[in-house]
Amino acid sequence: MRVLAVAGNTFREAVRDKVLYVLLFFAIIVILGSRALGWISVGQDLKIVKDFCLASMSVFGALIAIFVGTSLLYKEIDKKTLYTIISQPMHRYEFVLGKYFGLVALLALALGSMSALSTAYIFVLGGKLNLVFFQAALLNFWKLLVVTALAVLLSALTSPILGAIIVFCCFVFGHATGVFLDLPPQFNGTFTKHFFEVIYYCVPNLDNFNLHSEAANDIPVSLAYTAWALAYGTAYSAVLLIMACLAFEGKDL
Amino acid sequence: MAAIVTRALSKTYKVIGKAAVRSLRGLDLEIAENEVFGFVGRNGAGKTTTIKLLCGLIHPSSGGASLFGEDIRLREARRLVGYMPEQPYFYEYLTPRETLTFYGRLRGLSAAQRQAQWDRVAGLLELEDIADRRIRGFSKGMRQRVGFAVALVGDPPLLILDEPMSGLDPIGRRMIREAILRLRDEGKTIFFSSHVLSDVEELCDRIGMLVEGRLVHHGRVDELPGRRMKEVEVSAEGLDGAAAATLVARSAGHRQIDQVHLFRVADLENANALAAEILAAGGRIRELQPVRESLDDFFARIQQKEAAK
Ligand SMILES: Nc1ncnc2c1ncn2[C@@H]1O[C@H](COP(=O)(O)OP(=O)(O)OP(=O)(O)O)[C@@H](O)[C@H]1O
Ligand SMILES: [Mg+2]
Repeated sequence: MRVLAVAGNTFREAVRDKVLYVLLFFAIIVILGSRALGWISVGQDLKIVKDFCLASMSVFGALIAIFVGTSLLYKEIDKKTLYTIISQPMHRYEFVLGKYFGLVALLALALGSMSALSTAYIFVLGGKLNLVFFQAALLNFWKLLVVTALAVLLSALTSPILGAIIVFCCFVFGHATGVFLDLPPQFNGTFTKHFFEVIYYCVPNLDNFNLHSEAANDIPVSLAYTAWALAYGTAYSAVLLIMACLAFEGKDL
Repeated sequence: MAAIVTRALSKTYKVIGKAAVRSLRGLDLEIAENEVFGFVGRNGAGKTTTIKLLCGLIHPSSGGASLFGEDIRLREARRLVGYMPEQPYFYEYLTPRETLTFYGRLRGLSAAQRQAQWDRVAGLLELEDIADRRIRGFSKGMRQRVGFAVALVGDPPLLILDEPMSGLDPIGRRMIREAILRLRDEGKTIFFSSHVLSDVEELCDRIGMLVEGRLVHHGRVDELPGRRMKEVEVSAEGLDGAAAATLVARSAGHRQIDQVHLFRVADLENANALAAEILAAGGRIRELQPVRESLDDFFARIQQKEAAK
């Protein structure tokens, strides 16, 4: 109930701040971009359109998660709007969870709309969609749950700009975690090697959520894999959220 | 049961790389139910720090406090408090009606209870005409009213108000003053901080004064120990010029308005002597009024004494 009240408000704030205009940019970029790419590679149009739609969903979703997420708690602390909220008979973690789920609801709406727009666009171009496209869209969304949880954690700890830079780096490296293991052989057995190995296992591997090329080429993906990826994302998000709640609990406001 | 009890409540702010600030040092205070308590002290004395501690926004460095017997660290204690911050900030994109609905939901009120709440509070603070405008465009006084309204949501028995009247015009202040008196008559306990000592004197049963985080004085306004009588003003008429001149020489100050002479002397002793001379010179006493040291002067004196320590 209290979590819902906070979440509803967070959602409403983002909507009234016109965050959903992002959808307009999404539509423009997808249409223009896929046209431009389509001209370059003749005969592969639909493949490219699907890939491009999913990639754009990932990027625009991540933009919302990073920019709204990293200021989520910080803004409340900075503007002191949470004085009257934390002094209500509620737990601080309820506030953190409410903020998180409010943003998640917004992302669900944004990604749902983007999926619908993409589907319509692909139908107009005469293509048809398989289950794997929607699996890819769902995992895109699930990836953003992790990104949002990290953003919320950082917004309890640091300023939005620094937070956004950190989350952005994690987003980029999370898609290429392999680099941490592929060090040149001269590093074998050194501290640096072990250090990067630790990082490899700490940073969530966001590529696990990436089914873009499978979707573009209509290669089926098992439901078992999808379920595993969902569980993976849920576990990471839960850990990050617990850390965010703990960081927020002892804070002097 | 006491509404607020603090035991050696202390707060030290530690910021990395800076000297620790001891904002509150061992506050022992007990505030009875249905009391109006005024909390005064200079800028930076620790009033807001105390209030934030009581409302669970910051955690004590040592000591503790309870509200109606509930430890302030518990959620249950906050059910009993309505808090209005120094400068109330709300979501700018909401209207007052939406704001109160939001806080009602945080308090777990049903839709019907929230509506009843709105009717009560909006009437008390004249919110109806601004009910559906976004807070973004509000003046300070309107925000203050919304802040007070939010503190009243859920009808808590204790109100903790941080400078509820700062920055308001006379009408706005009177509205808040009347609201405080009305709530007191309804049986609420009210704890507020203020810089306007005349408001404190008018509203409060007791006051407490902080100097650099320490409580140096608390007690009933009219019984503050050491609050001196400053002088006595003797108003007389019917004196001729020569008699008046000798009396002026004997008094500490003198003014004349038309035929009325106002003499000021140090204490009642001197006032009686002066009165006798006035009567002997054929004059008539109109008024004999002790001028008590103002609360402002009293506090200035205490401040200087504490600073000298
Ligand atoms: N977050 C903080 N970090 C460090 N020091 C702080 C913090 N908040 C307050 N202080 C310090 O604590 C002291 C008391 O501040 P407080 O806000 O309680 O004063 P106040 O009595 O409310 O003053 P005012 O009348 O100006 O509102 C001040 O010296 C202030 O600098
Ligand atoms: Mg203050």
